[in-house]
Amino acid sequence: MAETITPTSPAQLRDAIVWAQETQTPLEIIGQGSKRIYGHAVAAEHVLNLSKLSGILFYEPGELVLSARAGTPLSDIHAALAEKKQQFHFEPVDFPVVLDGAAAPLSGTLGGLVACNLAGPRRLKVGAARDHVLGFEAVSGRGEDFKSGGRVMKNVTGFDLSKLMAGSFGTLGVMHSITIKIMPCDEKTRTVLVGCDDPVLAGSAMTAALTSENEVSAAAWVPASHAAKTGGGDRVAAMGGGVVAVRVEGPGPSVAWRCDALRKLLSSFGPTEALHSTNSLALWRDIANVGPFAGRDDILWRLSVPPASGGNVARQICDQTGAEVMLDWGGGLIWAQLPGDDAAQADIVRQIAVGAGGQATLIRASATLRAAIPVFHPQDPAIAALNERIRENFDPRHVLNPGRLDPARGA
Amino acid sequence: MLGMPEPDPSVLARRGDIIATMRDILPAPGAVITDADSLRPYECDGLMAYRQLPMIVVLPETVQQVAAILKYCHDTKIRVVPRGAGTGLSGGALPMADAITISMMKFNRVLEIDWDNRAITVQPGVTNLGITRAVEHRGFYYAPDPSSQIACSIGGNIAENSGGVHCLKYGLTTNNVLGLEMVTITGEILRLGGKALDASGYDLLGIITGSEGLLGIVTEVTVRILRKPETARAMLLGFNSSEAGGNCVAQIIAEGIIPGGLEMMDAPAIRATEDFVHAGYPLDVEALLLVELDGPKVEVDYLIDRVGGIADGCGAVYARISETEEERLLFWSGRKNAFPAIGRISPDYMCMDGTIPRGRLAEVLTGMQVLSQRYGLRVANVFHAGDGNLHPLIMFDANQPGELERAEEFGADILRLCVAVGGCLSGEHGIGVEKRDLMPEMFTEDDMKHQERLKLAFDEDQLLNPGKVFPVLHGCGELKTLHARSVADKFPDIPRF
Repeated sequence: MAETITPTSPAQLRDAIVWAQETQTPLEIIGQGSKRIYGHAVAAEHVLNLSKLSGILFYEPGELVLSARAGTPLSDIHAALAEKKQQFHFEPVDFPVVLDGAAAPLSGTLGGLVACNLAGPRRLKVGAARDHVLGFEAVSGRGEDFKSGGRVMKNVTGFDLSKLMAGSFGTLGVMHSITIKIMPCDEKTRTVLVGCDDPVLAGSAMTAALTSENEVSAAAWVPASHAAKTGGGDRVAAMGGGVVAVRVEGPGPSVAWRCDALRKLLSSFGPTEALHSTNSLALWRDIANVGPFAGRDDILWRLSVPPASGGNVARQICDQTGAEVMLDWGGGLIWAQLPGDDAAQADIVRQIAVGAGGQATLIRASATLRAAIPVFHPQDPAIAALNERIRENFDPRHVLNPGRLDPARGA
Repeated sequence: MLGMPEPDPSVLARRGDIIATMRDILPAPGAVITDADSLRPYECDGLMAYRQLPMIVVLPETVQQVAAILKYCHDTKIRVVPRGAGTGLSGGALPMADAITISMMKFNRVLEIDWDNRAITVQPGVTNLGITRAVEHRGFYYAPDPSSQIACSIGGNIAENSGGVHCLKYGLTTNNVLGLEMVTITGEILRLGGKALDASGYDLLGIITGSEGLLGIVTEVTVRILRKPETARAMLLGFNSSEAGGNCVAQIIAEGIIPGGLEMMDAPAIRATEDFVHAGYPLDVEALLLVELDGPKVEVDYLIDRVGGIADGCGAVYARISETEEERLLFWSGRKNAFPAIGRISPDYMCMDGTIPRGRLAEVLTGMQVLSQRYGLRVANVFHAGDGNLHPLIMFDANQPGELERAEEFGADILRLCVAVGGCLSGEHGIGVEKRDLMPEMFTEDDMKHQERLKLAFDEDQLLNPGKVFPVLHGCGELKTLHARSVADKFPDIPRF
């Protein structure tokens, strides 16, 4: 009979995994289960629920560090950080809301955030979750405790297993405690808007902004169909079409100066406008959370490509599949929503991504389609084999989230 | 003395065959070094206390040659020690008597500069500073800047996840690497990452960075480049105690200011560097902060004012702001020459590299003074204060019997102290052989075995850089065995539904 096992201490977590390993019982690992429909379905009847391994262990704003149990709700962590005017610098997307319109805002746990290696618009400047995890404690699929890293910013003491765990979708070990770097919120934010309907031209505008000395912290393009609905205020809607948004953050005088410089620089791409802090924050929250496509049912792809190629890739996807697209990371991230439920289009999307030196991940689709094609971008065989050997050494009996990454390999 | 794996006599007996094979793979003159005199420069790296002549040194220049060498070593069970510029401070490139040292210094070309994607692709032997030199004519630079940047190679930076003085704001090597080409011990050529930011599967790029040459040999590196800030200015702030200086660092960060550089020196370090480079440092303070602010001029001016105000509030007794670029560089020259400055006042010195939570600084410095008296050896401190990375410089005289050993013990105790307050053994120099035997201070046997299991996935026969990082090498069988520990009654205490 299917059971849900809910450990309340790291020792109980270890006991549960020892049991699973010895009885070869696969487990689906969840925190709040807010991202269960991302990736492949896990081939496990039993659920290991981490939501009772919860709570902030320490938060030292002056040291820019926070440590919490993996099952701690993100909403609790965001609230604690906001109180001290601090933040996750990598600005994670509220992913559950993208997957499912019914999800509560800020669902999910710290463990899920790291296991999926989420990031947001500031990715192009400061990296993803992987770049901010300082250390963790976990139980591997062998049923053994292990840890890596620590609580300090600079640490080359042994292999950087934090990187290995970030984005591993719980297939190597189950983290119960995570220590993560925090950064202060910037004093001011401004956003330069450039009216621009064409993704190729938008890509060029973003490249121009990013290669300038204005320390741009985010650059995105929102299509005309959504620009009026971003929450960024009337000025975004008044642009009357697609909009390139370029963000600068920092002390007040610097932000004003850089905003002016960017408006001059980008004026040749289209009419420009500027947003101050409040509207900027609303706009970028919407972009981070993939506002145009969030919470809908249509197929959603996420392409990661060299940023300067983003405009062209977006154009090809639109032309060849009829998709609606949005660009982030200066063009390096393309969200593409496709009509219909057609597996054949997956090949087109992947070919376009590969042609640009990138990859494509299927974010949202029916269970049927997710079962029919690889959700995550297929790997080079030598790298896939290496991944498999790592998996074998950490979870030899494949009891942790089997099938989540690659059902064909039981990984 | 350092315990290293015993040389394998059967490999030594094959030396002639091995040399012949290497000459087949590497026909270029001088690409295979075999005589003792020519091997001598390779007997150590920047950690000169340990020396060992390699069996031979080879200098490949193509990825295919590297793959052929490694495949041969794998098939015939020969150990391999990768080497970059040899500037490492933890003995990561220390040779072995029965191993081939592979020098990557012929891989010295810049391959591509992609301005639009803000990326540069180079071979691993290009120096850290060489990357900035290649892009600075268009106003770009490469951010991580270890103090050996003029000589150290980017391949070595990958191996050690090198830092520098700009890490707090701009990240370490690992945060600035976009892609790698590497060769595994079996001779497979892998490409990891690239100009796109995300890739599926486990983050191999992330684990190769900082893996100290134990997982493969890097043959190509793509890093991100940044536009150089319009302006940079530096401030010198003097305090009557390390506590006051440390408090000022905490206040700056608490106000939400992340300076480009945030360094601290203690009194012995200030004096030694001032005597050496005459940077104009005050000699009557106990702690000196060097704060660099960079960005548009308007931002820098604004932040200089704010940091000045914070410093006043923290009891600064000395403040000076660089008015010209020359003056800014002069302020830095003291800090950047701290190591040779100590070298002038002591026959020998040992540079340690622990990291601590910033708030524990005063406690650690006090503890270090106690140790200094106990061991009868002087110590000076330079400190990447922004990110908690300490570089205690222990002064000793290797010609005095027992002094090297005392210095090593002193250093080990400092690192134990760092770990005890929540820090780590190495912030940016790596474990290598130097701190290898201290790993159990931080890690349990199971922690280290999981690291070794990662190693095993890349190098099952443990041929790549053996004797480094791990104090005890467990066999493949032991690492893979699952130990039965039946949980008798399916964990009755755990809530189930």
